[in-house]
Amino acid sequence: MKMNKLIIIKYGELTTKKGNIKFFIKTLKKNIEVALTDLDFKIEYDNGRMFISSETLDEVRDRLKYVFGIHEIVEGYEYDSIEIEDIKENLKSLVTDKEIGSFKVRTKRSFKAYPLTSMEISKILGGVVLKNAASSKVDVHDPETLIDVEIRSNKSYIYFESTPGLHGYPVGVQGKGMLMLSGGIDSPVAGFLSMKRGVRIEGIYFESPPHTSEAAKDKVKSLTRLLANYSGYIRLHVINFTEIQEAIYKNIPHEYLITIMRRMMYRISERIAHKNNAKIIINGESIGQVASQTLTSMAVINEVVRMPVIRPVACLDKLEIIDISKKIGTYETSILPFEDCCTIFVPDHPVINPELEKCLEYEKMIDFESLIKDAIRNEEVLTIEKDEKKFEDLL
Amino acid sequence: MIYLDYSATTPVSKEVLDSYIKVTKEYIGNPNSLHSLGTRSHELLESATKQISEVLNINENEIIYTSGSTEANNLAIIGYAIKNMKKGKNIVVSRLEHPSVYVICDYLKTLGFTITYVENTKEGLIDFEDLRSKIKDDTILVSIVAVNSEMGIRQPLKTIRQIIKKQNEATILHSDMTQAIGKVNINMHDADMATLSSHKIYGPKGIGMLYKSEKINIESLIKGEKDSLRSGTPCLPLVVAFSKAIRLAITNETKNESVVKMLNDKLTSTIAKYPKIMINKTNYSIPHIFNLSLMSIRPETFIHALEKRDIYVGTNTACSKGGPSSTIIAVYDDEKRANTSIRISLSHLTSFDDLNKFLYSFDIVYNKLLELGDENE
Repeated sequence: MKMNKLIIIKYGELTTKKGNIKFFIKTLKKNIEVALTDLDFKIEYDNGRMFISSETLDEVRDRLKYVFGIHEIVEGYEYDSIEIEDIKENLKSLVTDKEIGSFKVRTKRSFKAYPLTSMEISKILGGVVLKNAASSKVDVHDPETLIDVEIRSNKSYIYFESTPGLHGYPVGVQGKGMLMLSGGIDSPVAGFLSMKRGVRIEGIYFESPPHTSEAAKDKVKSLTRLLANYSGYIRLHVINFTEIQEAIYKNIPHEYLITIMRRMMYRISERIAHKNNAKIIINGESIGQVASQTLTSMAVINEVVRMPVIRPVACLDKLEIIDISKKIGTYETSILPFEDCCTIFVPDHPVINPELEKCLEYEKMIDFESLIKDAIRNEEVLTIEKDEKKFEDLL
Repeated sequence: MIYLDYSATTPVSKEVLDSYIKVTKEYIGNPNSLHSLGTRSHELLESATKQISEVLNINENEIIYTSGSTEANNLAIIGYAIKNMKKGKNIVVSRLEHPSVYVICDYLKTLGFTITYVENTKEGLIDFEDLRSKIKDDTILVSIVAVNSEMGIRQPLKTIRQIIKKQNEATILHSDMTQAIGKVNINMHDADMATLSSHKIYGPKGIGMLYKSEKINIESLIKGEKDSLRSGTPCLPLVVAFSKAIRLAITNETKNESVVKMLNDKLTSTIAKYPKIMINKTNYSIPHIFNLSLMSIRPETFIHALEKRDIYVGTNTACSKGGPSSTIIAVYDDEKRANTSIRISLSHLTSFDDLNKFLYSFDIVYNKLLELGDENE
């Protein structure tokens, strides 16, 4: 009888979305293929599970931890027999002389014509464990070891432990969003959270050389690369904001600098989003965190776009955001000390409750439309891949 | 030219030299500068360090670049001793260390530290019983070389570290791994600190590193920047070349070792035929280092005679010119054997043709000097 060690993926939330399930699973499969691109592996799947076999299962498992849409990553054994005597024998060889402790056998039959019920199978196999394992006792409520057995139409599976996946939806099933990336702590977290819900993100970054440095831009690229761990790659739009920024600085009362600047950024983001088929704008704004993020400010700034603006961290405390950024690996990069567009032209007393009328009046003082068009025309688009091999020729 | 002194130093490999030259020419910015040239250099520095950390399975903040092994040994032993002297002032070392370690210990004695020597077995291995008995409450550090430079004796560091920790949980192990990396499989985590050098693994001279577990603290010896364990502008071309050399050394280790093993077998079987020559080799010697004692011929004379034939071998270690081999004394306790040893160190770059030519010349030189040699006896 053939035995095959493999990784079994449980989809989780996907299985509840009846109508789209085929599309969801196909997208997940494609995303997994991207994550494993340089490895040898084989994927088989059906509506309930995905099976991956590979010579390098450990590496496969590590990489799957970065793929959204996976409920559980399970290492198990596949057998090409569903005869109960064979299953007993297989389980026996896996548990013999092992310290199992308290355990429970959980059986699932997707092959409903099987002559035994799930309960009956569990009972029979529990007996096998009790008889052969070094020490074992049944505990159906709080077992130390959970032994899963699955019987499908022509194959059976036995598995013991599982690693939780990232959950969420496969990146891409919900279409695209344009993430405003600043280089701080919040926006990468916002990007991560929207990817979790199946949104493929593209990034937009506003640079103002020489007021902002190349290092600040590199930092944003690094952050994008870290986020790309979760989606394989991310396109980053770099917008030269210098002229607009300087025009604002020269012409607008300084307490409104930030408000007007954010309005400009929103306008440009929406246009870049349209151009790239993104349906939403995403950013890292959190209610009340800074002057431009009071509810009044948000309303006045948001007013320039029609596209939905999703703010995944709007209702999180700073510490909660930091926690997530540490978990996803962006924190250390985010706190590197480089000036970004938002921090450089900061007035001493930015307005906390800006008035829309004033904004409209001030904006009339400059020909922003042509500046915006220029900035968009000169955008630089980078495709940032996860763990890009830097300096490969030298190292 | 036939070069058989690879344990003294190695020629820089072409790929490594290419990187060195390219970085020297193209990355002129100081990694600490704010402008884009500096940033670019800084990024390269970080990437090079990241590569080392990945290849050696350690953290990036556990890597301290030094000018070479001697400086790394200084930083490890003196740096740890000074920082931790409140915990105790005893240091244990083996009798098989690189000479620099003994000079460092002599210096520490002047600061009030006591140095204890741990004995080794006849096979050159650390005597575990003796080690156990010498770890005291005030022993803060043990330094044991991973692979001895004269006879290539390899120590079981993992076991040694377990013994030390069992005796005194607070005692840490430093290991000079200079002769081990690229030759045998090394695990940095077998020690708390470890010394590595670039020029023994086909990298440029002038750079080495200390691996220091992030769990332990040491004092810097070169001051200049706050919170830096080794101040000074990092030499980017050297770091990049070193990083590449480490990657190549680790990647090709198994392949290279098998070549060297075959060369060593040939060398051993041929030299064994000379009745008056003693081969200094135990079951724990690695194949890259082959040590023999001429007994009735002065090694200096022998080496110069080979040199005339464009063949280069070593005596003891290049760092202790002249004196008797302390390793051979430690293993065999035989003055004459220690006074007449030469070291032939092999590389995957050594061809069988070179080895045959060497053995041919060896035979001629040996027999000729042997006739005269009786007078020297």
